[in-house]
Amino acid sequence: MDKAKAAGIPRLADGHPDLQGLWHNQSGYEAAMANMRNANGNLAVALGDFHGAGFPLPLPYLPIAEKVKDYRNLHDPYHDPEAHCHIPGVPREIEQPTSLFPFQIIQDEKNLVLLFEYTHDVRIIPEDGSSHPKHYWAWDGDSRGRWEGDTFVVDVANFNGRTWLDMEANFVDENEHVVERYTMVDPNAIEYSATVEDPTVFTRPWTLHLTLKRNPPKEQIVYYDCHEGERDVEHYTRSEGNKANKHE
Amino acid sequence: MSRHLLFVLILPVALATCLGLWAQHAGGGSENKGADSYSPSRLSDGTPDFRGIWQARTTAYVNIEGHPAEKGVAAAKSIIIDPPEGKIPYLADALTQRTKNYENRASADPASNCFQAGVPRATYLPTPFQIVQSVGNLAIVYTDNHAYRIVLPSAIPHDDGIDFFMGDSRGHWEGNTLVVDVTDLGDQTWLDAAGNYHSDQLHVVERYTLLGPDTMKYEATMEDPMVYAKPWTVRLLLDRDKRPGARIIEDECLEGADGLWHHVSPFDTKAVAHHDYKAELEAAQKNP
Repeated sequence: MDKAKAAGIPRLADGHPDLQGLWHNQSGYEAAMANMRNANGNLAVALGDFHGAGFPLPLPYLPIAEKVKDYRNLHDPYHDPEAHCHIPGVPREIEQPTSLFPFQIIQDEKNLVLLFEYTHDVRIIPEDGSSHPKHYWAWDGDSRGRWEGDTFVVDVANFNGRTWLDMEANFVDENEHVVERYTMVDPNAIEYSATVEDPTVFTRPWTLHLTLKRNPPKEQIVYYDCHEGERDVEHYTRSEGNKANKHE
Repeated sequence: MSRHLLFVLILPVALATCLGLWAQHAGGGSENKGADSYSPSRLSDGTPDFRGIWQARTTAYVNIEGHPAEKGVAAAKSIIIDPPEGKIPYLADALTQRTKNYENRASADPASNCFQAGVPRATYLPTPFQIVQSVGNLAIVYTDNHAYRIVLPSAIPHDDGIDFFMGDSRGHWEGNTLVVDVTDLGDQTWLDAAGNYHSDQLHVVERYTLLGPDTMKYEATMEDPMVYAKPWTVRLLLDRDKRPGARIIEDECLEGADGLWHHVSPFDTKAVAHHDYKAELEAAQKNP
């Protein structure tokens, strides 16, 4: 996967590629913009209609996991943690929200930091050779980074088993393990891949590929927040595992 | 396909600015009025190096005007240095509102909704924050509700007409002190857990100064003509977390069965959702 040393890309004093700046998912952005035009500028329609851009669908589910996915998609869409304003998790945060809400990279020599506009999600990725903690379960998991040539490779584990991959109920659980690769191929493009394995959900690992494009130079992150407004008791109780389904 | 967005209140807006304007403010030592003698290590562009994890050495999160000992928290003095009596100079009506806030604090505190804490409250929460910094960039990442602020150079004007939980921050260096001007703060945050509050007219000027390699002085001056009779100032110290491998941990609230949101530590086994797909499908068949 490692590219030869890319010429003409910005570099830090230590020689590593300088990935700093604002980035977005190019193909997702294009799909969203196309949908926005079709929908007379209705942002909600755009957000819902470009799910899965970059995922190698259909994903290689174990039979029982596929049934769970299909059931949730048909009957329990509010199970989607994004509907509850939660952190999207990895790699969804790179794939879907960044189509409309960019993220910023800051490299402070000790860490590569991802600051996402969407839900003010943050990942501080240490580059110190340290390993994952024990007994830690998070929406974004735990990220440890290293350089392989010009590629920044991030090992992500310690997930909490609560995230979905998109709005169609594709999902992962607490056994998810991701290896991300960020390779700057020109000053305005990063090739991104995420290899996802989860032995209790999928039969084999699979890989997401997409291209991150640099935002125009005068743009900046705008603070975004998300809190639940409407309280739909029926759907929320169903989302909590049917323990209190009021139709019983 | 809009079903998911029915549930959310989002506050996005488009803005434009540019980075890289820090340099013209860097190294302006002649303007240092603080006369702090410590000379911090520096980034390659000469700006003081504030990187690291910091934690307030105070329990001001309980009540910035000071508080008696309670619930395992030691008594503390006011962190307000101006006015010298250590009390917020509320307007008369605002003081009445503060009293109401205090009486209803268990449910009225915005923190009970897992909202971002706002400024300056985020600085003296009982959880640490991390400053990430590179040439041309400075961001403050808080543990609490994974809030963050990107401090843009003062040369770029504030954005007007919109409020953010964590405000809109512009910074410049006065000698070795980072001065951050914060506007666009909303009225949905408090200053502490005791009902001390502000309106959406709040304007905060923060001053961050290293006193030594592991100690930072923090001052913030609050101005809000809707609530305060005059500006007032807090001061506190922050300690560097020097433990090897120290990290900001993820803080995301979960909605409990009571319909309320609760912080769940990622080190707590309750954070992980163990799945039993067979049972989930069987339950689904019983409740189609």
